[in-house]
Amino acid sequence: MSTTEPMIHIENVHKHFGRVHALRGVSLDVQKGEVVVIVGPSGSGKSTLLRCINRLEEYDSGRIVVDGIPLDNAQNINAVRREIGIVFQSFNLFAHLTAIGNLMLAQRVVRKRPKEEAQKIALELLTKVGIPEKAWAYPIQLSGGQQQRVAIARALAMNPKIMLFDEPTSALDPEMIKEVLDVMLTLASEGMTMVVVSHEMGFARAAADRMIFMDEGLIIEEATPERLFTSPHHERTKLFLGKVLHM
Amino acid sequence: MEAQLKPAPSEKELARIPGAEPRARIDPWWWLVVAVIALTVILITTKSDPFWRILLFVRDGIAITIFITTASFVLILIVGMFGGLGRLAQNRFIHGISSLYVELVRGVPLLVQLIWWYFAFPVVIQQSGRWLNIPAMANYQANAIFTAIAGLVFCYGAYMTEIYRAGIQSIPKGQVEAARSLGMTYFQAMRYVVLPQAVRVILPPVGNEFIALLKDSSLVSVVAVADLTRRGREFMAAHFNPIEVWTMVALLYLVMTLFSARIVSWMEKKTRFER
Repeated sequence: MSTTEPMIHIENVHKHFGRVHALRGVSLDVQKGEVVVIVGPSGSGKSTLLRCINRLEEYDSGRIVVDGIPLDNAQNINAVRREIGIVFQSFNLFAHLTAIGNLMLAQRVVRKRPKEEAQKIALELLTKVGIPEKAWAYPIQLSGGQQQRVAIARALAMNPKIMLFDEPTSALDPEMIKEVLDVMLTLASEGMTMVVVSHEMGFARAAADRMIFMDEGLIIEEATPERLFTSPHHERTKLFLGKVLHM
Repeated sequence: MEAQLKPAPSEKELARIPGAEPRARIDPWWWLVVAVIALTVILITTKSDPFWRILLFVRDGIAITIFITTASFVLILIVGMFGGLGRLAQNRFIHGISSLYVELVRGVPLLVQLIWWYFAFPVVIQQSGRWLNIPAMANYQANAIFTAIAGLVFCYGAYMTEIYRAGIQSIPKGQVEAARSLGMTYFQAMRYVVLPQAVRVILPPVGNEFIALLKDSSLVSVVAVADLTRRGREFMAAHFNPIEVWTMVALLYLVMTLFSARIVSWMEKKTRFER
């Protein structure tokens, strides 16, 4: 593998939901250590694109290669999924397990780590996201922000090379958004490859190497946050940013 | 960090929250079980002829009823799980087979099914054995207990399939997505994430099925199984005292079903979890 090979390579991907053409030929490369933030109006295909990267969504045509592994058969898909962590808008913590149980399950079942090692890693990560004292709490006993931080830690426990974030703060009360974004900023500063679908412009400005604006299943514009915020080239980008930035 | 898990609220605190009053230590419905047992004991002791004699006579029938019910139930739980997963399978063949199974079984009365398995099924085996020239099949003789269990499992397995299907479907799709995104296979996601949650959801209907099965097991008396009902009929044929015999049999079933119902609700409390 050459050093210039991108971590994620997306090539002309199409996706239909029934008669809706959700992705209409999207191509995108993400380099190792890069933080890419995708924005766009609802229904623009940004979440679908993210979910295609670890094949939670099947695509109709095109090609996606993650860390040199093409997503074309079931074996590869499971191999790729082990290397990609995803954080969902609705947290999706396992409701029947405690926080530490959530972090340990896949380590034990997928990575086959011994119990002690899995537990040690789980506690380290819960400390990293700032809630070691909640290790034995069930998801229902946690606030939204705490649940999302556990979800991030759960993904990190698999030692992923890539982290995907699908609107991670959209279901949170405003006062809890910061605690989640802080964890994400830490990750970005540690050099994690991240693809983030989010409208948190503060996060994009602080952490994004590149921003992507999507609309109607296409990438309309990509640029540094600086450039996109100050001088968007496309009318649609300008319109959208005007709405979300309340300009 | 100084924040710790809050200690459980004291009973005094709980009493102030409507709906969270401390539970009575003994479930009042246990008194019904006690009352029915007491009535049975009084009948046996005050009028030991014929009640005590009936009890002695049907004793082995009770054992057979309990054996058939529990043995069938364990198998039904397994059949239902595979049936439920089959009903939800992407594979059209597997989905079709399990749906056909449910539809066929639901539409035929259990009594007719049991009679078919006992009287018709062995003939099918014998004739195909003769046709295929396999002596072991040609000389096949129905075993009453085996046939009864097979018939009950076949029928109740279909109902259990639907219970499992509903239970699995009640678990949000995001749970499977989260499990798969961590690299788990479909079966790992089912085994470690979906089924443990679904089991808690389906426990009440599964408990109902157990009680229904216990009662329906009386139908196997028509296919030469000496269960409680059949033993009762035998006693009556010999002594002709229907009131005493069938009162006693009814009381014995009642003790068993009431007791099972209490066990089920105790298990529900034990496995209740927060979500």
